[in-house]
Amino acid sequence: MFERFTRDARAIVGQAENEARGAGARSIEAEHLLLALARGGPPALAAAGLDHEALLAALEAEEAASLGAVGIDAHAFALPAPAPTVGRLRFGSSARAALERAVRAATRQRDGRLEARHVLLGVLAADGGKVPRTLELAGVDRDRLRAAV
Amino acid sequence: MDTATSTPPSPADALAAVAALRRLADRVEDDAVARALAEGWTWSQIAEAIGVTRQAVHKKHARRQPKGD
Repeated sequence: MFERFTRDARAIVGQAENEARGAGARSIEAEHLLLALARGGPPALAAAGLDHEALLAALEAEEAASLGAVGIDAHAFALPAPAPTVGRLRFGSSARAALERAVRAATRQRDGRLEARHVLLGVLAADGGKVPRTLELAGVDRDRLRAAV
Repeated sequence: MDTATSTPPSPADALAAVAALRRLADRVEDDAVARALAEGWTWSQIAEAIGVTRQAVHKKHARRQPKGD
């Protein structure tokens, strides 16, 4: 799948694994790709106010809101910060879907090269899940952001 | 929260809650297993308390623990 990826796009995927590992996640998900993109990826993200720190806060707010919808207060559990995940991480379904959309977006280009902005487009085009919910809660206009990429 | 009178969450909100609950359950489990091991529990005791096989709990958590086995 990664043959057409530029060096920058590959770096995003590698950084997404670091983001997932650091968060103690069991798999690499679309939000980890977005966090990687927020560290010096396409400028459209930062222009929308989504630097890495802001995005982390927005993802946490969405998690708390989702748990709150079923009456769970995440802060009621005195949990330590998650330990980094050990061993190799697999791609979860949301990241796989985002990368597949990135590949499709790149094949519409003349040279077919997959750049970091295609990864961002793939992440932003999700129908549902953590990323669209987080962006909506944070007041980010996803269509506008996609148009700016 | 007054669950008797509140309206149920929309399917989208409920499904997002399921995903978040799974992540929360993993974190609670990681923390509880680490503390149980520190208190001297065996893998068999931990497995029985969670309701999974010893092999399953060992496979999931052994790598995370400083002592390994």
